[in-house]
Amino acid sequence: MFQANPLRLYLACIKNTLEAAMCLQNFPCQEVERHNKPEVELKTSPELLLNPVLICRNEAEKCLIETSINSLRISLKVKQADELENILTKKFLRFLSMRAEAFQVLRRKPVQGYDISFLITNYHCEEMQKQKLINFIIQFMEAKKEISELKISVNTRGRLVATEFLKQFM
Amino acid sequence: MMLQSHSRFLLQTLLTRAQNLDKAVELDYQWIEFDDVRYHVQVTIKNPNILLLSVSLPNPPPEAMSFDGLPLGAIEAIKTTYGTGFQILDPPRDGFSLTLKLNFSKVRPDEAYRNSLLTKLASIREVVMGAPLKIILKHLASRTVAPELDRLVAIMHRPNETFFLVPQADKVTVAFPMRFKDSVDTILATSFLKQFVEARRAASLSSAPSCSWSPTAPQELEGAPKETLSANAGFVTFVIMPRHVEGEKLDRTVWNLSTFHAYVSYHVKCSEGFMHTRMRRRVESMIQALDQAKPLEKTRSMNNKSFKRLGLNDANHTTSN
Repeated sequence: MFQANPLRLYLACIKNTLEAAMCLQNFPCQEVERHNKPEVELKTSPELLLNPVLICRNEAEKCLIETSINSLRISLKVKQADELENILTKKFLRFLSMRAEAFQVLRRKPVQGYDISFLITNYHCEEMQKQKLINFIIQFMEAKKEISELKISVNTRGRLVATEFLKQFM
Repeated sequence: MMLQSHSRFLLQTLLTRAQNLDKAVELDYQWIEFDDVRYHVQVTIKNPNILLLSVSLPNPPPEAMSFDGLPLGAIEAIKTTYGTGFQILDPPRDGFSLTLKLNFSKVRPDEAYRNSLLTKLASIREVVMGAPLKIILKHLASRTVAPELDRLVAIMHRPNETFFLVPQADKVTVAFPMRFKDSVDTILATSFLKQFVEARRAASLSSAPSCSWSPTAPQELEGAPKETLSANAGFVTFVIMPRHVEGEKLDRTVWNLSTFHAYVSYHVKCSEGFMHTRMRRRVESMIQALDQAKPLEKTRSMNNKSFKRLGLNDANHTTSN
């Protein structure tokens, strides 16, 4: 009888869904001549869209995967326990969003109701290996650890600052 | 880690001047420090031995202990600390709260004495702003209470902001309403301030002042005007005992309490800087991870660290690092 790690299960589920969803092909835009747009953003032609999949770990943590013929949108909502984690997460995600160009697959603004979104197009799939891309997304989710680490470091600093101050009186 | 009580630039200026009195120079420096304290130093070629030091403090809010625009007791404190070598100019220089005239020719040439005097002069902020607090804490050291004081006393520590004291014969309770403009600062500061309470629990700090934090005004502040009690990062309360203000400790305690908010604020900013550095580093490593997702040929020419690919195209390449 083994204890299944809930995080592992959540990530495994996302990984499997992505593997299935990441079969993208080039598709010229039906609406506008000579244009090529990510259909998942436009959502104008229902025949080009697949059913969106929502994977919930709990109320505060979920992952929405929307697929279309030439593009895939992954939106994540991350758990925030208290005010400090809240601003740390916001700052971290904003930091990443501002560097969206370097990341290429990152969407500058998250989808409404989520903390961060990725947009993967067929071009990305042509340039990058599918497995590695999926691994990157998964690894990204572990960035939540970074938030916890930052929170601990803030508290440690606070303790140090406080101790130094109080020592002055002795 | 602590804020020093003397202004380094001022000290440097004074020492340099003292060591070069035979050279006549024209000095006219103005600068500003944290929490809106301004300084002005002037030396003229006509009178090379005379140095004018002016200090400007923010205007005290109505509830603060003050007299004539200066913290209560500041003038007496200056006379006591600096002795007879100084003259207080009345009125002070235009735009400043206080001007001192120092005559170097009247200062004993003994270098150790002179350096200690100039260091004290460079700590003029501590003397002037800490004057009311020092009066109250000095009474605590002798287990008395200064006469004619209200139960609740307010002292300015930042522009338009005061902190509060409840002076008693056996202890003085000090309460700081902590206010920050930026919302991130506020949340970080709240976290820091709660650590003060946690840190105090350590056995090694048992003789430090006891401290507590609360999101709303503690009962000691009952009766204070409402507008002085807004505090988005809560209230920190210290209880100062006579042992914290005996002898040499008095000045240090006065300075540390006077600059408590500045100290917390400074470290909050340092923390934010640190967080940004860490986030930047993490983001860079993620970009690298993404680069690894690209097929090898595309990234090789950019990230080639370990070996050089031999081929016709690379004949003209220099070794990439």
